Amino acid sequence: MLFIFSCIEGSTQDAKEIVRKADEKMRGNTSQADITIKTVRTGWSREMTVRTWMKGHDLALIIVLAPAKDKGIGFLKRKKEVWNWMPSLEKTIKLPPSMMSQSWMGTDFTNDDLVKESSIVNDYEHSVTGDTIIDGRSCYIIQMIPTPTAAVVWGKLIVCIDKKDLLELHTRFYEEDGTHVNTMNAYDVRLMDGRLIPTRFEMIPVDKKNQKTVMIYKKVQYNRPMDDGLFTTERMKSLIE
Amino acid sequence: MIFIMAWRNIWRNKSRSIVIMLSIVIGLIAGISVLALYKGMMTSRVRTVIDAETAHLQIHDRDFKKDYHPSFILKNANSLFQSLSSLPEIKVAAPRSVVQAMLITATGSAGVQVNGVVPEYEYKVSGLKEKIKEGEGFHDNKKNEIIIGRKLAEKMKLKTGSKLVITFTDSADNIISSAFRIIAIYQSDNDPLDELNVYVPMQALNELLMTGNDFHEIAILLNSDEDLQKVQQILMKQFPAFSVESWKDISPETDFMVKTVDEYSYIIMIIILIALAFGILNTMLMSVLERTREIGMMVALGTSRSRIFLLVLLETVFLTIAGTPIGLTVAYLITDYYHTHGLNLSGMGEDMMASFGFNTLIYPSFPWEKLAGIMIMVIGTAIISCLLPAAKALRLQPVEALRR
Amino acid sequence: MWIIKLAWKNLWRNRSRTAITVAAIFFAVILSTTAESLKQGVFDNLVKNVVSFYTGYIQVHKTGYQDEQILDNSLTVSREIEQKILSSENVSGLTPRLESFALASSKEITKGCMVAGISPDEENRITSLQNKIVKGSYLHSNDRSVLVAEGLADRLKLSVNDTIYLIGQGYHGATAAGKYAVKGILKFGSPQLNDKILFMTLATAQNLFAAEGMITSYILSINNEKKAGATAAGIQRSIGSDYEVMSWEEILPDIRQHIEADSNNMKVVQGILYLLICFGIFSTLLMMIAERKFEMAMLVAIGMKKWRLMLLFVTESIFTVVIGCIAGIAVSIPLIIYLNRNPIRIGGETGRAYERFGFEAIFPTSTDSSIFLYQALVVLVIGLALSVYPVVKVISLRPVTAMKR
Repeated sequence: MLFIFSCIEGSTQDAKEIVRKADEKMRGNTSQADITIKTVRTGWSREMTVRTWMKGHDLALIIVLAPAKDKGIGFLKRKKEVWNWMPSLEKTIKLPPSMMSQSWMGTDFTNDDLVKESSIVNDYEHSVTGDTIIDGRSCYIIQMIPTPTAAVVWGKLIVCIDKKDLLELHTRFYEEDGTHVNTMNAYDVRLMDGRLIPTRFEMIPVDKKNQKTVMIYKKVQYNRPMDDGLFTTERMKSLIE
Repeated sequence: MIFIMAWRNIWRNKSRSIVIMLSIVIGLIAGISVLALYKGMMTSRVRTVIDAETAHLQIHDRDFKKDYHPSFILKNANSLFQSLSSLPEIKVAAPRSVVQAMLITATGSAGVQVNGVVPEYEYKVSGLKEKIKEGEGFHDNKKNEIIIGRKLAEKMKLKTGSKLVITFTDSADNIISSAFRIIAIYQSDNDPLDELNVYVPMQALNELLMTGNDFHEIAILLNSDEDLQKVQQILMKQFPAFSVESWKDISPETDFMVKTVDEYSYIIMIIILIALAFGILNTMLMSVLERTREIGMMVALGTSRSRIFLLVLLETVFLTIAGTPIGLTVAYLITDYYHTHGLNLSGMGEDMMASFGFNTLIYPSFPWEKLAGIMIMVIGTAIISCLLPAAKALRLQPVEALRR
Repeated sequence: MWIIKLAWKNLWRNRSRTAITVAAIFFAVILSTTAESLKQGVFDNLVKNVVSFYTGYIQVHKTGYQDEQILDNSLTVSREIEQKILSSENVSGLTPRLESFALASSKEITKGCMVAGISPDEENRITSLQNKIVKGSYLHSNDRSVLVAEGLADRLKLSVNDTIYLIGQGYHGATAAGKYAVKGILKFGSPQLNDKILFMTLATAQNLFAAEGMITSYILSINNEKKAGATAAGIQRSIGSDYEVMSWEEILPDIRQHIEADSNNMKVVQGILYLLICFGIFSTLLMMIAERKFEMAMLVAIGMKKWRLMLLFVTESIFTVVIGCIAGIAVSIPLIIYLNRNPIRIGGETGRAYERFGFEAIFPTSTDSSIFLYQALVVLVIGLALSVYPVVKVISLRPVTAMKR
């Protein structure tokens, strides 16, 4: 009896631990990355390159490097707030809540995705429901159900995490009634700054044909010391000149 | 003498008299029914506004309506709320915390107004409990419960039991997100408001807004509509720092609609009266011409012209006096029947009525306050329209009239 | 033929009686046309007011824009399409617009707003935008400044000559950002518009949203407002299914429903009016019969066939009713035109309430010619139907009793 109990306990603990480790692997304590983001739509697509700085869950900074027209546009996240720096206007605005669910820079990500304080570790109940093979890698299938009070719109997430290297390779987002809304796939696992991580991510909305957003990590640096003072509107203005 | 003659003349040509009387009866019924229908529609709309939407009066911080920022709380709200119970005109009052927010689901988002309410008061003031069509009301001690309108539920494809996330800025401008679960879906007669307003327990909202025990709004329901201005004055004096608004200030479009319809119904009444006047005018003119010989004879025999004038006038007055009570009684019976049973206008389209905040079941109401006016107008019309025939009778030359 | 002559003579024999019957018809026509044209006029004016707030009578978009109003559903400005639209029947003008949402920001405050890029002169011709200026002045076609609705300006604490920042999403995912001087403040009756709209020139908007040569809609003005639906359908056929052509009835379904509901109310009122008209005409006919019983009996007694008598009466009725109707139309036309030029004004508090909501405080009449014809026809039918009564009386006429009186 005791044995069975500890077994179930063990499996949920394991699932949470797996997700936590995979999350940690991708984030580090701090990270700085150059990412190319490609928005694909019917009839057109658009590419931009951004540089990101992240520290823990609360601080993040994104600066656009290319295209030239948008160069220097910055997004600063501190806890749940987002400021937007527009170099052409020399103006910083704080995004109002009504903008949070709008698309971020025309991509399939919302402004809310930037701010999301909801943590895939703390806001969900995790359980391993099976395993599968993706790109020749053996993966756990983990079901994640949001805790009742978590401010999460999803009803359920299905995450596939590589067993050996703990890489989040595939995620599906579901509504509460079971409707499949988005899929996120990760490819091109490479050694970056000493870590083995997927370097290409695709976010695909299920109900919109020929539409997706692709993120490609060009350069990543993990766990370099980062001053909190970096994450201020003043620094955001001066980072790219 | 003239009285008797006029009376007899009426009975001499029964069909003519009946036609005139019927015109007056129909005119009255038509006029009163139209007024009653419009009055019923307006009373029901005003009742809905007061009983289900705005209540009689609302108290806010002076700056609250400018920006709906959650930091504009009513200061010392609770003692203010307590003090209201000392006014005998006030039936019940409900405190509300109000914040503009985004409601977010996995597939979409919508702007809403979140009302933090205390169920026991809210149910009494806005009848929220009666409006619930699916699910039950709030449960004690459960915080993340939300009640949303049917229109919003349809738009966002939500059901009872669905979860949603609400995002807004708190009183210190921090962005707050919180998950709620739909426990009930309500539906009122006003679709646009159903799409906008969602209800959560006040305590839960206050904790998120960091406004402590204070709140933004007090909605007050009075015992009687007549006390509206009086109580508004009293409260304005008592709380000069706050804005005290009546439903007319909060929902000017309802007041506007009531006024427009009033104007409308008078124009309709005037058209009906003109038609009535022409009917009477024609008939009496005919009757004078018909009696040319007779009237000529009377003049020749020495009846004074003023008496002849009076004769024609009296005939009309008799017919009007006979027609008026019949018309009024029938009109009263018709409106009374529909007043108790309701007049179903769903043929006009339920959605359409709801989009203007009307119930499809209209209870026409006998326009007592306009009764005197209507009667004066109808009788006046009758008398004015017989002036011409009477004058015509005067102008008859006895000799010429007799010759024919 | 002799019947017509006799009927005509009979009419002239007792002029006053004929005059009264004609008058009954005459006033009936005037009343019913006035009531109907007032009803039509009020509704037309309501529509005119509402569409002139912003929407216009007809809009042309790229197919799909109405359901998903985003810049990616915009259309390319094309002379060819403009020519096709302008050459369609009933179209009198068009103006392009580029609409999108953006964040509007003053020094401290940020609010969502709707940006409308317009071509100032043409826009003014169709929606009289210039009249809505309450402060500052209207746009010139090469201005880079903006006009802000009063409610939005208040929320942002902006006044004329202040700077407004706009940030949003441009065409095909481009970033839209710009700062502009406020040139004028507009006041809209509709709170929805007043609290969120902002205007700039089309070129400025295309530049802001990186949508060179693109617009989201053409707003059309038309000559005959009644034919908005048919005109829209005609344009749709001529420009094809790449575009959606919508009349105000599709863009503002609630207004259409409101008018339908009110029309139903008015039908009841009109029914009552017709009933009273019936009574008026009927009572004159009744008089006439009573008066002419002796004459009718005499004619039958001296050997006139009853059917000839009936024919005589019908001819007389037709003359009377037709004369009454023609006279009625002849007088109601100038009357209604007068009421159209000098509409009934709503005074006092109600009038002010009207103006606060952006409506003209007037009850104008409609001068649609079909109203005169239709209403005269209704009265004609009522008159003719009622004149069956004397005919019935002739059938049941007993000459001896009738002559006895």
